[in-house]
Amino acid sequence: MFHFKWDFKIKSLAFWAVLSASLPLSATDTLFDQMGGMDAMKRIAARTIELSATDPRIKDEFRHVKLSRVKEKLALQFCELTGGPCKYDGDPMKPLHKPMKLTTADFNALVEAAQRAMREEGIPFRLQNKLVAILAPLHKEIVTVK
Amino acid sequence: MCAVIGLGPMAVSAQYPNESVWDQGKLVGTGGVTQVEGAGGSGLTTWALITGYGTERGIGINAHHTFVALDDFTLNSTGVAVGLYDRLELSATRQWFGTGEAGGRLGLGEDFTFGQDIWGAKLRLFGDAIYTQDSWLPQVALGLQYKDASKQTVLDALGAARSNDMDFYLSATKAILKHSLFISATARLTRANQFGLLGFGSRGPEGNGRSLQIESSLAYMIRRNLILGADYRSKPDNLAFAKEGDAAAIYLAYFPNKHVSVTVAAVDLGDIAQQGRQRGFYVSLQMGF
Repeated sequence: MFHFKWDFKIKSLAFWAVLSASLPLSATDTLFDQMGGMDAMKRIAARTIELSATDPRIKDEFRHVKLSRVKEKLALQFCELTGGPCKYDGDPMKPLHKPMKLTTADFNALVEAAQRAMREEGIPFRLQNKLVAILAPLHKEIVTVK
Repeated sequence: MCAVIGLGPMAVSAQYPNESVWDQGKLVGTGGVTQVEGAGGSGLTTWALITGYGTERGIGINAHHTFVALDDFTLNSTGVAVGLYDRLELSATRQWFGTGEAGGRLGLGEDFTFGQDIWGAKLRLFGDAIYTQDSWLPQVALGLQYKDASKQTVLDALGAARSNDMDFYLSATKAILKHSLFISATARLTRANQFGLLGFGSRGPEGNGRSLQIESSLAYMIRRNLILGADYRSKPDNLAFAKEGDAAAIYLAYFPNKHVSVTVAAVDLGDIAQQGRQRGFYVSLQMGF
């Protein structure tokens, strides 16, 4: 029995070794592909904006904007930033957000919405963090009130 | 240069009408937990993060209790900490170190309890652990901990040079979000024996000076609210009567929301007071707003 267990362990080990050896092939996939392509980006962007537009902390920022446009531009931005075949054609981040006088807490409220949207989409947490890692440096362009 | 070391930004602009100073604006987990001496960090090590969920426009406050059960000893730690504008952290902690039966073996009497009060301050100097993911520059903070140990006559008898002293530390912490990691390292100048619970320095030939000790920490974010981490912390070995070893911990920190966190750990605090290597577990509850 003892031997059987060890044999089993060695086989599992071999299985994982083979599996991880095959990982570099898929690692050449962009984050865009890993997250499910454009359809997933559109859903995540739309849900992020829906959640944000009803979040008491930041909903006021969405009162006078056309949500469908914001969703579309955010999907494009997600697509481009994750290495997908898109080009963000919306307004540049800095002038767009400056009049909103946003704080770090506002920025994080949007990040939390994006995290929840990704969770609902079934994106694994380590992939969610890869997107958050790309979005985080936008903090210096978006947050003007410190 | 003054702006770089960041003493200026403590002046905070006025809040918005509907904005609370208790803004809870950081992302969950990014305030860290409370380390054993009451500062923001992980289990055993101090981090450069300012405790609590206040952003640079807010204040976060929390209270913690930590219980450590070792082979021959127990350690309880209770304290409060406040993070001001993500710039300055102040903390106050009381520790009780129970000797149980080992107290009898050491001639102190069974259940003899050492203790100390720790007053901490930490100033964030520069860098950002979370947002500057496009740079390797970590968040760096300078801290001090004033420790005032009880039972001075016993500490004298054990050979400690003093019963109160100051630790100084410099911490660097960085989240590497694309790998779901936190990395932190701290250099500490200290002469504390067993964190200060057995006094400071030695009257013996081992000397009375502070030495440079290193704390390092690596943590992996398993889920949004669950972090698995490991700490390693070197300690001085000043006292003649007993060898003191380094400390290590492997922990799991759970953040059900921004108000509560629970940390459980397996710890190895090394040799303590002639009783051999002390291993055990660690449970810490933190609550804040």
